[in-house]
Amino acid sequence: MNKIILLCWILLSCSILSAQNIEDQPYLLTSKTNTIGLSKLSLIDPYLSPLTYQGNGIEFEHESRRFLSVTNTNVSMQSRLDLEVGYLLNPAQTASMTYLEIKPGWGMQYHFRPMKGLVLLAGGNCDLDFGYKEVIRNINNPGNVDLAINLNLSGAAMYDIPLRKRTLRLQLELETPVIGWMYVPLAGASYYEMFDVGNLSNISHVSSIINRRGIDPKISLDIPFKRSVWQVGFRYRTLKYSANNMVFERNEISLLIGTTFDGIAFGGREKRAPKNFISPN
Amino acid sequence: MKHYILILLVAVVLLPSCMNEPATEPDTPEGNFQALWKIIDTRYCYLDYKHINWDSIYTVYHQQLPSVTTEVSFFDLMGKMLSELKDGHVNLYSDFDESRYWKWFQDYPSNFNSSLLDSARYLGKNYRIAGGLHYNKIDNGRIGYIYYGSFSDAFSDVNVANIMNSFSSCHALIIDVRNNGGGSLNYSEQLASYFFKEKTVTGYIRHKTGNGHSDFSSPVEIVTPTNKNIQWQRPVAILTNRMSFSATNDFVNRMKQAPNAIIVGDRTGGGGGLPLSSELPNGWLVRFSSSPMYDKSMENTEFGINPTIQVALSAADQAKGIDTIIERAIVALK
Repeated sequence: MNKIILLCWILLSCSILSAQNIEDQPYLLTSKTNTIGLSKLSLIDPYLSPLTYQGNGIEFEHESRRFLSVTNTNVSMQSRLDLEVGYLLNPAQTASMTYLEIKPGWGMQYHFRPMKGLVLLAGGNCDLDFGYKEVIRNINNPGNVDLAINLNLSGAAMYDIPLRKRTLRLQLELETPVIGWMYVPLAGASYYEMFDVGNLSNISHVSSIINRRGIDPKISLDIPFKRSVWQVGFRYRTLKYSANNMVFERNEISLLIGTTFDGIAFGGREKRAPKNFISPN
Repeated sequence: MKHYILILLVAVVLLPSCMNEPATEPDTPEGNFQALWKIIDTRYCYLDYKHINWDSIYTVYHQQLPSVTTEVSFFDLMGKMLSELKDGHVNLYSDFDESRYWKWFQDYPSNFNSSLLDSARYLGKNYRIAGGLHYNKIDNGRIGYIYYGSFSDAFSDVNVANIMNSFSSCHALIIDVRNNGGGSLNYSEQLASYFFKEKTVTGYIRHKTGNGHSDFSSPVEIVTPTNKNIQWQRPVAILTNRMSFSATNDFVNRMKQAPNAIIVGDRTGGGGGLPLSSELPNGWLVRFSSSPMYDKSMENTEFGINPTIQVALSAADQAKGIDTIIERAIVALK
């Protein structure tokens, strides 16, 4: 019996001690945002067709952000995963294109705080942009792959708008590719020639603002409710890249909705985390 | 610093407009005519090889454009223009028709009679099917016979291993690819790989690199690999006719280099240009030869491949239920 009491006392002491540690020490929170969206897509892929395909897409985006260290709340790291599927038609609606995009990315940003309620973020990120387009009726060129690794400049402005009952957060994010690598198929060659026969010459290209340009502005509003913070957003993405005498283009307008939360405190913006919990949001 | 950021932002916003893709033609008869003519002018690979004056063809057919009043007659005019290329790989596809050039086999003897194959002398009625390969023993069990009707029909190594096992008592093999209009080049390569002891350069391929009629990439070797697990190193005859086209033409070209192979029958139909496709503003699809393929001596295979033994199906033999080409192959394999 004594042994049991002793064991309980030790366990209780440990839990009190660990609670004290949590309260004493700063702890980094990870702010996560999950959004889904509907988009209007417009694609030009001259390897598949000279025509512009237009249609709709559904996308999912996950973004998480965390300060680099508890002692420095000026630098945050960001990771992101974009998934999108789309269905598009040629102008005469005689052929369809299926589109899939997977785009994971990772980056870091420096936080400037020029005035109360305003945070400016500037930095960069690296992403892997993988896409697959399929026009099933094509002959020997029914599909094409988009593949690129980009180093992007990224920036954001976050502005807190205090209302009577809650504080809204308006965010403007911007991203543009600067340099990287991209795969572009050989115009006039089939995938059989490139990958079965092995003619891989000139499919690999260094990309820069000379041959790959785009901009990716997104405006969003965080709206805190009692138990959660919802985000609504609007994004316009445009990208053009050129190699092997072909110019590819992708334009997209998206309406996004999702939730944002801290990795530990799921209570939304009104239920604040303890002061020692540091959130990048 | 501020200036640099501003310049970069302006550049990023404005520069995409400097990287312009070629303007597309409008969806009008004139626009569609121009688009089709231009696709062939810049991307078709045999204009120079076939000595086709595409500019004069433009003049001839453009003059007829005003007389076109319906969509069907416009389609027929475009199809007629494409038939000037004399290429079985060139087609125009609409929702109501598909233009084609079939003279590459219609102007020649067929050299194939499927009812002969169904007789007990050859495949019979109880032949076996493995993947797309129909097979049976012929010549009193001395020769294995495979009929392969389309390189679009899949088969696996396991299929072929089973066929080879069933032919283990045969001293030779016949692969009949008459009336095989082609399909996948991967199956062509795979089927040929069972007959090569070592990987062998069996041809070359190039593709258009510019708008000029002779703007081609450097030739790249087409290598036929060897299948390490399944090998047939006894004599083999490949039977061909004019309808042996496209991927079948490629298979015959590979088998010409195989150590124990002979080609028996008629010259193949050709189709040595690997086709790609493009679209017109009105949504019609056009298929055209884009990448010329060559044999081991860098000779174009567009107009077909000659057999080792030229033989035609005789009417007298047919009347007796005999396939002259198969019989000639049996004699050659003895």
